[in-house]
Amino acid sequence: MENKLSAGRLKILLALSLFAFVILVGRMAWLQLYKGLYYGAQADGNRMRSVLLMAPRGKIYDCNGVVLADNIPAFVLTIMPGHKLSDDEVRRLAPILGMTEEDIRAKVAKAKETYEPVPLKTELSMKEVTILEENARDLPGVSLDSQAIRRYVYPGLASHVLGYVGEISEEQMTRGRYKGLPQGSIVGKDGLEWVYDGDLRGVNGRKTEEVDVRGRVVQQLAGQPPRTGRNLVLTIDYRLQKTLEDAMDHHLAELGVQAAAAVAMDPNTGAVKALASRPDFDSNWFVGGISAKNWNRINNNPHHPLNNKVIDGEYPAGSTFKVITGSAGLETHKVGPEELIFDSGRHWLIDMRNAGGEALGWLNFQRAFAMSDNVYFYEVGRRVGIDTLDEYARKYGLGKKTGITLPGEASGVIASPAVKQKLLKEEWYLGDTFNTAIGQGLTLVTPIQLAQMLSAVAAGGTIHPPYLVDKVLDNEGATVSVPARPAARSLGISEDTVTRIQNGLKDVTRAGGTAAWFSGLPQAIAGKTGTAENPHGRDHSWFIAYAPADRPTLVLVCIVEQGGFGSTASAPIIYEVLNNYLLGYPNLKPKAEGDGKPAARGK
Amino acid sequence: MQRYLRNMDWILVLTVAALMVTGLILIGSATHADAVASGQNRFVLRQGLFIGINIAVVIFMMRIDYHSLTAISKQLYIFMLVLLVAVALFGHTSLGAQRWIRVGPVTFQPSEFSKALMIICLASFLDKQREYMDSLKDYLAPMAFVLVPFVLVLRQPDLGTALVFASIACSMFWVCGFKVKWIGIAGAIGACSAPLLWHLLHEYQRNRIRVFLDPELDPYGAGYHVIQSKIAIGSGMLFGKGWMQGTQSQLSFLPENHTDFIFAVAGEEFGFIGVTIILLLYLVLIWRALRIALNAEDRFGQLLATGVTGMLLFHVLVNVGMTAGIMPVTGVPLPFLSYGVSSLTTNMVMVGLLLNIHMHQARLQF
Repeated sequence: MENKLSAGRLKILLALSLFAFVILVGRMAWLQLYKGLYYGAQADGNRMRSVLLMAPRGKIYDCNGVVLADNIPAFVLTIMPGHKLSDDEVRRLAPILGMTEEDIRAKVAKAKETYEPVPLKTELSMKEVTILEENARDLPGVSLDSQAIRRYVYPGLASHVLGYVGEISEEQMTRGRYKGLPQGSIVGKDGLEWVYDGDLRGVNGRKTEEVDVRGRVVQQLAGQPPRTGRNLVLTIDYRLQKTLEDAMDHHLAELGVQAAAAVAMDPNTGAVKALASRPDFDSNWFVGGISAKNWNRINNNPHHPLNNKVIDGEYPAGSTFKVITGSAGLETHKVGPEELIFDSGRHWLIDMRNAGGEALGWLNFQRAFAMSDNVYFYEVGRRVGIDTLDEYARKYGLGKKTGITLPGEASGVIASPAVKQKLLKEEWYLGDTFNTAIGQGLTLVTPIQLAQMLSAVAAGGTIHPPYLVDKVLDNEGATVSVPARPAARSLGISEDTVTRIQNGLKDVTRAGGTAAWFSGLPQAIAGKTGTAENPHGRDHSWFIAYAPADRPTLVLVCIVEQGGFGSTASAPIIYEVLNNYLLGYPNLKPKAEGDGKPAARGK
Repeated sequence: MQRYLRNMDWILVLTVAALMVTGLILIGSATHADAVASGQNRFVLRQGLFIGINIAVVIFMMRIDYHSLTAISKQLYIFMLVLLVAVALFGHTSLGAQRWIRVGPVTFQPSEFSKALMIICLASFLDKQREYMDSLKDYLAPMAFVLVPFVLVLRQPDLGTALVFASIACSMFWVCGFKVKWIGIAGAIGACSAPLLWHLLHEYQRNRIRVFLDPELDPYGAGYHVIQSKIAIGSGMLFGKGWMQGTQSQLSFLPENHTDFIFAVAGEEFGFIGVTIILLLYLVLIWRALRIALNAEDRFGQLLATGVTGMLLFHVLVNVGMTAGIMPVTGVPLPFLSYGVSSLTTNMVMVGLLLNIHMHQARLQF
């Protein structure tokens, strides 16, 4: 057919077709050659499901091998990486898991950004697991896996020592010590779980599976098993801890107060044998995410249950400070040990009196200490002066953290003209020195500082700073490491002075002392009452003690907030604990005790 | 008979045969999981069976005198309209569009057959117009002629087939002498009326266009097909993952992998080399079809061959472009490769027509 127009136009059509095919081939080259590796990785991301196998955390033992924290198997529901849960699935899951649809969608949004499975809910109940398994067909976007989760064997016991674990937060993933850990990692959040997380956490493993579009496993690919974390052996003695917490709980209930702190340590080593703060919490609450109910319980309590008052509570030392005032007076010879000072009920320079308004007449050091006479110690304070008092407070470790390996320790305060000027913009008066000498005023101490102070006296003049972790074991029970502890140091006070302080402390619990009824214990002990003035309410009640009096093996310090006089609130708690300690815990079932070989139980 | 064999466009026949065999191989891979489950690959068997049946149709189409189609073009046009109305009334829905009609045990897609009918009817209609259509008025009647079925399929809603009609009309108008400046004007009008058209589109069609512009808008919904298809093709790289080894295809990440997205299977399993060969086969097919149009013995034959070319070209460009993420998802199958009896039959009938036209031109030469 002869038609030049149509012939030309057909040729143009052919040229256009050729052009279009060149573009298509070019596009193929772009996708397959230039971006081939990228799409290859995407295809692998589609078909390969990497399941994170969480390493079980290491166990925590007490000093006798009693397990305080271990792991139990639990089911966890995870969102498959790269999957979007359909609205239908979200609607089905919400009632099963008891979560709101918004909560689920928030987690799904997180899962979209990662190739790691994101836990939707950990620690599922058996009922939830059953329902989920029955509905598995309708829930292709989630996977039900078994996982080891933390369990604190004795709920609430030593919670301030152990701390707790939780899922890594968004913020922790981007900075700080946990930076770079995958979503869903369980990390220590407080207490020893936080401090020793590096030992306890272990190394997560993973298994890789090939799956089809519905998430069905086609085949298992390579994998790496998880490595369990290392185990901690604490200095804590379960028996003492349990005795102490029980004693605190029922005495606080009787007193009708909530806040208290107590710590026990071995004065010869610095090993902390028990440590408790009230009000407390159960570390198990935090496993798998804390419930709103428990969170409100913690948040709405005005006494801050999460705070460890043993290390972060700062209180006036009350009469327990007389250990320091006495040491300063005797050591500087500003007061002779047998020198008699007359207590007329008030000091002759300033009208400052005894707490009960009494007048005790002529007193030597030991008697004044046992009776906790204020007028006597005003005079000692006046003679040595505030600078020397402060020097001795520092010798005993006040005003400075003890260095115990728990987060959040407070330093306390040592009163001085400079501190007063800074805090109150006022000059220093003699009355301030008097107040400081009997432990009132601006000086603030933590219970752990007082325990360290009394330990130094009990140990004859050597400070053994407190520590909590004895050693770190691997899973075969071999010692991996022994955490470094602060070195013991001398108080720098003569043996004679220390002995006189000891004698004063012993007389406190003898006939005529402020806690004479302690003579009912199986062995003699030494101690000191203290009453910390509290401008916001009733006074705080201190009692510090060591036992036995002659060859001390245990120092105990207790404060009951708003408990009133030291002898009325704190002393009964310590009495009960020491009685059990000295009798070998007659009330505790042997079952709770360990066999002394932590590793043998590590399974 | 000897004359038939001698005057056959063997390059065209072999090209189409190669494409159909490739199609069977790809369908076999794409439906492998189903075959394992049911014990036999019913998709390959069915496609193969219809290839066999349609060879007879092709021979029939070759033997008739294509000029006789002009005589029944009016009836064919009415038949096409009835078919399209029927599918609108009785068709059942698949993927939100009414496209299937069931007759006894057989379901078929009338819109596929309507493509062939459209080519024949429009070629016949244009053939009756004056030879030099150099006035815009000359195109008013043909446009109206196309517009009626066009609106019917658009209402189905079947955007893909509507655009195929448009591509057939455009290619034929072009050969008739539709002026370049009119195209420019039409383009301007189209651009101005785009908001109105946008308004007329169904919501799912609008979403397809939105998602075509940015598949990541809805990576698990409307954008899912394209994203997975690009992953399949791209991950094939130079040599491909091998037959039945494509993870995207075999693990069902690639949807519609034996029909509209069959080309992505080719890309994944046979790589750049494989898809280049397939694209070359299509280029040869277009070249042969245009050559037949060029050498057709009369205007009707030329228009027929041009319409077939336009239709095939449109299918290939839109389908391959869609799998490669440079065209919107419109549900257009890939000729001879996609599984689908209606599409296969239509395309083979068209090839029969091409061969018929080729044969007549050859006869003239003797």
